Amino acid sequence: MNLNKLIVVSRSVKFGRNLFAARGACLHHFQSRRSIRSSARSLTYAKDLFLGKVNKAEVFPYPEISNEELEEINQLVQPVEKFFNEDVDSTKIDHDAVIPPETLNGLKELGLFGIQIPEEYGGLGLSNTMYARLGEITSLDGAIAVTLAAHQAIGLKGILIAGNEAQKAKYLPKLATGEHIAAFCLTEPGSGSDAASIQTRATLTEDGKHFLLNGTKFWISNGGWADIMTVFARTEVVDTDGQKKDKITAFIVERAFGGIASGKPEDKLGIRGSNTCEITFEDTKVPIENVIGEVGGGFKVAMNILNNGRFSMGSAGAGMIKRLIEMTSEYACTRKQFSRSLSEFGMIQDKFATMTLNAFVMESMAYLTAGMMDRPGVPDCSLEAAMVKVFSSEGSWICVSEALQVLGGLGFTKNYPYERYLRDCRILQIFEGTNEILRMYIALTGMQYAGKILTGKIKEMKKGNVGVVFEILGKKLKDSVVRTVDFGLTGKDGVVHPSLTESAKMFEQNAAHFGSTVERLLYQYGKTIVEEQLVLKKVADVLINLYAMTAVLSRTSRSISIGLRNHDHEVLLTNTFCKDAHFKNNFLLTQLQKNSPENNDANIKKIAQEVLAKRAYVCSHPLDRTF
Amino acid sequence: MNTPRQLLRIQCIARFLGTPIQRVIPPTGAHLQTPGTQHKYGQLLRPLHCSAVCSTSRPSQTPLEKTVEAETLKKDRSLVTHDDLFERAARDSKTKADFNRVVDVFSKKDIRRRGHVEFIYAALKKMPEFGVERDITVYNKLLDVFPKEVFVPRNFIQRMFNHYPRQQECGVQLLEQMENYGIMPNVETKVLLAQIFGEKSHPMRKYQRIMYWFPKFKHANPFPVPHVLPSDPVELARFSLTRIADDLDAKITIYQYPSTDITETGEEVMRPHIVGIQSPNQRTLLAKHNPSRPVFVEGPFPLWLRKTCVHYFLLRADPIPSEETVEEEFDLEMMGPEQSLFYPQRLELDLERDMGDDFRFDVDDVKEGPVYAMCMAGQGDQVTLSQWISGLQETCPILGQIPTVFRLESGPRELQTTSDAQQTPEQEVETDPIIEEEPLHSQRVKQ
Repeated sequence: MNLNKLIVVSRSVKFGRNLFAARGACLHHFQSRRSIRSSARSLTYAKDLFLGKVNKAEVFPYPEISNEELEEINQLVQPVEKFFNEDVDSTKIDHDAVIPPETLNGLKELGLFGIQIPEEYGGLGLSNTMYARLGEITSLDGAIAVTLAAHQAIGLKGILIAGNEAQKAKYLPKLATGEHIAAFCLTEPGSGSDAASIQTRATLTEDGKHFLLNGTKFWISNGGWADIMTVFARTEVVDTDGQKKDKITAFIVERAFGGIASGKPEDKLGIRGSNTCEITFEDTKVPIENVIGEVGGGFKVAMNILNNGRFSMGSAGAGMIKRLIEMTSEYACTRKQFSRSLSEFGMIQDKFATMTLNAFVMESMAYLTAGMMDRPGVPDCSLEAAMVKVFSSEGSWICVSEALQVLGGLGFTKNYPYERYLRDCRILQIFEGTNEILRMYIALTGMQYAGKILTGKIKEMKKGNVGVVFEILGKKLKDSVVRTVDFGLTGKDGVVHPSLTESAKMFEQNAAHFGSTVERLLYQYGKTIVEEQLVLKKVADVLINLYAMTAVLSRTSRSISIGLRNHDHEVLLTNTFCKDAHFKNNFLLTQLQKNSPENNDANIKKIAQEVLAKRAYVCSHPLDRTF
Repeated sequence: MNTPRQLLRIQCIARFLGTPIQRVIPPTGAHLQTPGTQHKYGQLLRPLHCSAVCSTSRPSQTPLEKTVEAETLKKDRSLVTHDDLFERAARDSKTKADFNRVVDVFSKKDIRRRGHVEFIYAALKKMPEFGVERDITVYNKLLDVFPKEVFVPRNFIQRMFNHYPRQQECGVQLLEQMENYGIMPNVETKVLLAQIFGEKSHPMRKYQRIMYWFPKFKHANPFPVPHVLPSDPVELARFSLTRIADDLDAKITIYQYPSTDITETGEEVMRPHIVGIQSPNQRTLLAKHNPSRPVFVEGPFPLWLRKTCVHYFLLRADPIPSEETVEEEFDLEMMGPEQSLFYPQRLELDLERDMGDDFRFDVDDVKEGPVYAMCMAGQGDQVTLSQWISGLQETCPILGQIPTVFRLESGPRELQTTSDAQQTPEQEVETDPIIEEEPLHSQRVKQ
């Protein structure tokens, strides 16, 4: 794909060697994984869960980085952390709704505008894993994190992954230093998440050397100060069969091309320091060389940018919660109530446990996904990345709210940063695809994958093919008699550490149950499952839980094996989380059963329909009378 | 009402009292006219209440009271006399005050309230005439005419049998009329009934049943029509159109307010109101209409709002023939699985919903043409409706290119005012066939 990947290849070879040295327990297993890797990489973890398969080779052992990389990243992290602690005044940024230029300059000097841009173009050339590590720190200020993410996670990613050499050489160096700031222009007033209704149009000029860009883009992060924009617009493309069709094309647009007007920055609830505004293009002349990829191929570009940019939200959320835990525990241990410190109260302890668990799981998921993405080949981690985003955005919201609650009324005031964190992290559930849309994406992508493989079998069953029916009945009978499911996570050649056996068993049970549930759902709904959003939501939730369980099991197994500090605490966290997730999954899977009494979906839908038909709350007031 | 049972009871009482029943009670049980027997019961059972205080010496007597006096003096006290009483009172005006005056006069005339059952029946009949049929206070006032505590049973035998059947019947009848007009009794009614008939009497039971069912049915209609409709025709049209459209997005446009112009020649020119309604969906449908196919303005169609009938007109088209329906094209890249930017809009699977889970009903869909807009106008002629169409063109310019056919039946040209709204539906039906016999001469094509 590009040089970055090549570097990663060489790194991962080293990383493999390290693992060999570090641990013997998983040796056999690792070898088998390497041999698979040498062939074309086709394994996918999350998608295979839909088939009831656990591709342990994908997620065990937990990905590592080499010692050199670790040293490198630690060297980078220190000054960045120092900068954020000393030179960034988040309260002021939030209040003035603007990031001061000196702060921006500081960020530029640290190279934070070109984290993933290869070194030859003047960037830091870091891997996804290391990008996630830096994300932990930048997330301490929501506005800066969003500005940086809009710049490099989506704004210039198009050039990085699909641009040609000339484009890279022309644009990347200035973007890497932060001299130019990038923005990603996809959303339009008429199309929020419905990218198919893009109205911005690019028409080829008569000389065939330029495109004329016309239209309006909405809610563009960095829109006010971006110099380079990745813009998606409709273009007319002649099909293979000679028909003219509208296709989406991606363009690199410089503000210098002219005809670009940015609107007033939006006044937002959170991330107030980031710049969000409307951009209008009026006959902007874009040279034909500035098309990213090929004309009409913009959709794939957009998809790749969005699908793989989400994983870093996990580490960002974890970074923020870790900081919050430090701040609130300080308060909880010093504040006295009824002559006891707050930390002695069970309900306060509960909050800290929630925060710790969430941070731990988010972190595990984020780095597992980042590690998977850093592997050679063209990994398809879009499902995993989406799951990380959904889990961490919701977890962050809960944790910040709990942290604020520990402080009670103080947390509600502007004297403390909690209210700002609360406002800032609300956006996580909204941007880069709302959580609802991502849940649909997660569930449907998996369903499609499983459906393709299972269609034949289900059709045979429906036809009443005796052989298939007996085979399935036999399998069900066997399952009910031999209650244990074994994916080989534990035991002799197991990849999970023995102290996590119980949790691993819970995971295996859930995974097997999930596979059979997916099959039943496909049998029941077929392709009409697209319309069953409440079912899909549950499917997505189960999958997210499964992936989270995988991540913590994998991470803790590694920690125990190599003897990381406080790994016993990790064991505790893992067992707690897995048990919790196991029962949640059981409940969700029970709800997904046919005619399940636990399932309230029909009622939920009806309530909403009745309210929406009236567009108001329909109940009479409790004080109303009829006589 | 359990008439046979009551009949039996009355006979029982009659036999018990030694008085033979000589008349047949009508099955409706509505008008129990037994001028003779009532006095006998009263005299037999409550001799103490027969104090004869006559009010002839009252100083100020209105003419109405005088007639009442005269009536009471006459031996023949029948229902007709009470009817007369109301008619006399209503000679110049029929209002609530007049009605109340009559009731007052009757109540004050005689402490024994002789003939009160007949009076109440007569009053109930006259209530709609005086426009008080929906007034709970008037019903309570009528109930108040009954003497108190006289009809309350005092021992178990009285309680067991139908005590004072005519009076109870009358009380039930009064409550029934309230029920028919949808008037809910109030606490005062209850107190009065308890005072007059006692806690477990038939009227009290009736009251309890009404109070059980009425609140339950009060909001049974999800689309209530107010008792008093707006008098302004524009407001009335607005109400009616939103009622038909039932789309919260639909927007009312008033194309013309009613006004009267005087031309140079001194003629009065009425400009009728034109009120239209169109929803955004209808607008987009109209914008997609194939201009080579005509649209039709049809009407008038009646809409009944309680006793008022209003008429509306439709702008509609014929159903689109199947060869012209354009299937929405899916751009696979944007909608298909593993392609879509956010999530697939459909799956590429060869699996349908399982038969056991297909709860759809097998419904035969009748293809109907789209309705693009509705309107109500003061006049149903082509000139007025053309104005509506040209008003619609402002939002839908394509309408200018579409041939518009007016298929108007020469129905009522004017909106019915509330005064002739008293016309009953039966009368309306009678006039309709005449209209239909006329040829559809007004079919013309506007280019």
